[in-house]
Amino acid sequence: MSSGAPPEGAAPKSWTVALRERAVAALPPEKLLADEQPSYVSSWIYVFGVLSLASLGVIIASGMILALKGPGWWHFTGVGHFFNSVHLWSVELFFFVMVIHLWGKYLMAAWRGGRVRTWVTGAVAFLVAIPCTLTGYVSQQNFDAQWISTQAKDSMNAAGVGSFFNLTNFGQMYSYHVLLLPLAVVGLVVAHVLLVRKHGVVPPFELPGPAPEPVASNRPAVDAEASS
Amino acid sequence: MFLVMAVIIDLSHPAQTVHWHFFTMSVSNIVVIVLMLVVFVLAITLPFPGRRAAGRSR
Repeated sequence: MSSGAPPEGAAPKSWTVALRERAVAALPPEKLLADEQPSYVSSWIYVFGVLSLASLGVIIASGMILALKGPGWWHFTGVGHFFNSVHLWSVELFFFVMVIHLWGKYLMAAWRGGRVRTWVTGAVAFLVAIPCTLTGYVSQQNFDAQWISTQAKDSMNAAGVGSFFNLTNFGQMYSYHVLLLPLAVVGLVVAHVLLVRKHGVVPPFELPGPAPEPVASNRPAVDAEASS
Repeated sequence: MFLVMAVIIDLSHPAQTVHWHFFTMSVSNIVVIVLMLVVFVLAITLPFPGRRAAGRSR
């Protein structure tokens, strides 16, 4: 009876091992959770990238609470109003900071040096987040949602996509809003962050003159002094 | 609380819009866009705190 174990010295055939080896080769732990970054990462533009992630976290957390409690709660109770507002304003903040991050990265030509996939996942995440938000407007379960959905369906029909989805179908729009589109946004954001970790952030444009950039560390200051 | 807010910011009216030739946009949207541009300019011009100090430590 065979034990299933590979012969000594032979490479294992298991797909889990192959996947693990591929993942570790692409993103070794010291790269995935790096403790040092180039000095040009010290920029407000990356702060806005992190703020986008933080806003997305608040959006998802508040959205889960709203889904748990339902429309009666978010329309007719004080705490429900509060979480409804938290959800709305975290979305406003998400787009505000994400667009600033996007503008900055566009002007840095962040797709340079083999970073096309990093740029594309970020830009597509922004584009997918827009219908994710718009389906939220038609999922409110109030007159505002009725007005928006009936107006929006005309533009969708005029664009020729009205046969694929129906904006006045609450069940369909709610499914899009709480499952399909958030899944796509989160997936793209995760891919974007992993690609940033894999390829690093784009270096500044080279200017004439010497001086390679020094390295900034997020280790404690004592370490930095000891190693200098 | 809601009453106090309603007194400070009266939202019981249609949105005010700016019309200029083909351009039509609500004042609130214009305010947000201008604010984004201001924050963006500040983000690329203001020095990042601690950057110079970190560079000297190496």
